[in-house]
Amino acid sequence: MKRINIKTDLYSVPTTILLLAIVGVGIGVVVSLLAIAFYEAFNWLNKEFLIDPHERIQLVNRPLLLSLATVGVPAVGGLLVGFIIYYFVSARRPLGPSDTILLVQTRGTPQPFGSSIASTFAAVLSLGCGASVGHYGPLVYLGTLVGSLVSALKLKIPNLQAICIASGVAAAISVAFNAPIAGMVFAHEVILRHFSVKAFAPTTVAAAIGFIFANVIFDRPPLFLVVFEGVQYSYEFILFAVIGILGALLAVGYAKGILLCQSYASRSGIPEVFRPMVAGLILGMVALQFPEVLGVGQESLRFATIGGAFELGELTILIVAKIFVTILCLGFGFAGGVFGPILLIGILCGALFGGILDQLQIFGHSGVVPYAICGMMAAATPVIGAPLAMILIVFELTRNYDLTTAAMVAVVFSNLLASRMFGRSLFDVQLASRGFDLSLGRVNALISYGSVTEIMRTEYPIFRTHDKIGKVAYQLAHIGRTAGVVVGPNERPVGVVHVRDCTGRPPTTSLKDVMNPETMRFSQNTNVGQALEAFRQSDYEVAPIVSAKTQKLLGIVYESDVISKYREIADRIRQEEHDPI
Amino acid sequence: MIRFSPLLMLSLILGSSTTWADNGELIISGWGGAYEQAQTISYFQQFEEEHDVRIKIRPYNGGIGPLDFLEHPGDPGWDVLDMTESDSLAACNERLLKEFDKSVLISAPDGTAATKDFFNGAIFKCGVAHVSYADVIAYDERAFPNVKPNSVADFFDIERFPGKRALPRRPIAILEWAMLSYNVPVSQIYDLLSTERGFKLVSKRLNQLKGNIVWWEQGHEPVDLLSNGEVVMASGFNGRFDDARVNHDIPISIIPDGQFVQLSVWGIHRQAQRPDLAAQFIAFATRTDRMAALSNLLSYGPTRKSALDRIHHYAGTMPLITDNYSNAELGINRRIRADSHWYSVTESIRHQWFDEWLSSTGE
Repeated sequence: MKRINIKTDLYSVPTTILLLAIVGVGIGVVVSLLAIAFYEAFNWLNKEFLIDPHERIQLVNRPLLLSLATVGVPAVGGLLVGFIIYYFVSARRPLGPSDTILLVQTRGTPQPFGSSIASTFAAVLSLGCGASVGHYGPLVYLGTLVGSLVSALKLKIPNLQAICIASGVAAAISVAFNAPIAGMVFAHEVILRHFSVKAFAPTTVAAAIGFIFANVIFDRPPLFLVVFEGVQYSYEFILFAVIGILGALLAVGYAKGILLCQSYASRSGIPEVFRPMVAGLILGMVALQFPEVLGVGQESLRFATIGGAFELGELTILIVAKIFVTILCLGFGFAGGVFGPILLIGILCGALFGGILDQLQIFGHSGVVPYAICGMMAAATPVIGAPLAMILIVFELTRNYDLTTAAMVAVVFSNLLASRMFGRSLFDVQLASRGFDLSLGRVNALISYGSVTEIMRTEYPIFRTHDKIGKVAYQLAHIGRTAGVVVGPNERPVGVVHVRDCTGRPPTTSLKDVMNPETMRFSQNTNVGQALEAFRQSDYEVAPIVSAKTQKLLGIVYESDVISKYREIADRIRQEEHDPI
Repeated sequence: MIRFSPLLMLSLILGSSTTWADNGELIISGWGGAYEQAQTISYFQQFEEEHDVRIKIRPYNGGIGPLDFLEHPGDPGWDVLDMTESDSLAACNERLLKEFDKSVLISAPDGTAATKDFFNGAIFKCGVAHVSYADVIAYDERAFPNVKPNSVADFFDIERFPGKRALPRRPIAILEWAMLSYNVPVSQIYDLLSTERGFKLVSKRLNQLKGNIVWWEQGHEPVDLLSNGEVVMASGFNGRFDDARVNHDIPISIIPDGQFVQLSVWGIHRQAQRPDLAAQFIAFATRTDRMAALSNLLSYGPTRKSALDRIHHYAGTMPLITDNYSNAELGINRRIRADSHWYSVTESIRHQWFDEWLSSTGE
């Protein structure tokens, strides 16, 4: 039986610790610098392309130029993005956190380097042209890119790829939110999907480096700052829970909207290359009326925590417009994340909730701030499936215990409901549609992901219907098997034979009299999980694998092969999760 | 406590009795009040003596409109201008000022080159900053015998602190204060002020003061308005309020929250009659000893290190551009460093908004 035997004692423990620390520091430094460059790049484009409010306000007296830029920039940007994605990204779609998760979980091969670079560049361009997409997804992918490059160094540390990528992601999130603890937790919660001693050290080091770069060396401004003096009434926690439930509904609607729009886009008949341009054009038209829908919407995010900054009516319209353009931009292929926009939509909804409370004047409350923050977290958590990281983000951004507790209540309720209604996250749902279903658990997801052809045997004795069973039994005994596949004319399998069927019969009996006309056959499209389940429910010990097109025999697979594969995966997961350094 | 008024009187008497060998006249802008008095003592008189020229002070109250001689034919104009940082940048962009030759600046007494001695950001394309000052909010102590206003938000709170407010008739500082009153973090003020919504929020705050605003034009007016009881709170320059309290015993308190720190910049007008003399004057006035002399009379901060080393402890506030503004991000005693770039690029939009607001309220 073949088993992957992962050596854990290649290096002494101090050497391993040192190597992991160096990996963490190295990845942390590189990712931090690249992440900051990423920010600078799209902010610079925002300025040059008149998306940035600083620039736009200088043009109020030149409305024609402003309108032209508002519609033209996203449209032309969309055309370029469509072109880059179509011709330079081999997957023909923007790459993001779901690719990271898949890569880490399956230990697969990374996307081609050129594709990754092109996708990241397309994200910079999308954000630079004001597309309503997030920047956190591309940043996570940037961390993945660096991590997988470093893991190619062949340091002979088990599970190095996952550790390196998790470190890269931790650093990226740490820079993005000035939140090192959240970065470290996010990498475990969303990417690694387990906590292990080995991954913990380098991800933490990388996250800390990210924080040092973002906060100490470059002094980057935090996402938002709020003044909050504490929750004044105990009953407000019930309202926070209500926001959690509303946030879950919002998140599910948002995630389903994106998926629907993606499938609509592929059915729409608009050529792939031009889809982002169409989205950009519509975005621009909406932005003529509501310029706040353009881009990341940093200013609106900050206004949301100011009581009275929005009238309730205009706030409602802005929320609807932002949801619409975001779903459109993401569905029609702009490169960017799903997280940034839902943060904004969530905080605006929270502000709306707070504003309505204000208008009702039925009971006292602690102002708009906690409601805005709860709304933001409740809506965003289910989309990325990271409740712990979200709670920590609030804590690290606001450094306010009261606010964190309030957000925690909202996050918990939101997560409970949304995971029931939709799934753990949009990433997981996307991956499930690509055949990798993490909702089954890591072991089952991995088993279900691999095609049965990966463990297929191509060298095996071929039995014909006219063969005598004496010869068959002899041949099977010779190769140490108790079952084989019977092949008919045209090289198509017609049945399976087990030694148990041959016992007690004359050796000259024809095979066709004893064989089981097989009812179980696999193809390239059968995954190992399905094969395992099929064997479990039948008496067969072997199954033919045929070409889905021609029905011709490609190879065979024994039940024992499938079980070995299962054990191999289970062992790997166990080792990842429990091995010491 | 420093009292310079008797000294000033003496010098004025001496000055008026002296007959100058007429080497011509240098026209310099003047802001009036305690600031102009301190400048006269620290800069003007000595320069007149050393260079055999007459200095003519011509009032100037900010903005770049008055600098445009094409719009003011027959105007004698100014040779040397003492401008706010943002006005100076805007005037430079409009080519109303000459490019400044920083080689005229005089080294520190210990030999440190001037360009090293000046604080970062003090030397501009069209001028050199010579003092840092702050727009602050002050109140008449007699008006609030019990609870005292102590934050920017209190300035807008007519219910808790009733009475008239004095504000400059210019869209400056009030924008930042309105943002602070909404608890906008200092570092994000200009981001939010760059949106229409930001301006709407400012209008909303100003609307709360409707009917309670007394506009002032010249820097000395806020002190007068407070001291004669016409208003209960006023925005104005920190040095003037300090001077009123320290040197004239006027019961004025400065609210420590919301100091709006700016630079005053010397510049030479493009059409100056005597550009060389103007440059000599700027070199003289920014000499370490002269700069220190002014800051010893008035609580405006110097812009070069060697001058800062020569200032004795002053009883009032002294804003410095070297202070760490990020520490005062949230909470009480916030301070804002004016974003002069933002000011220079929003010149027209700010005035447009302000004029619209004025006409909408009939102010």
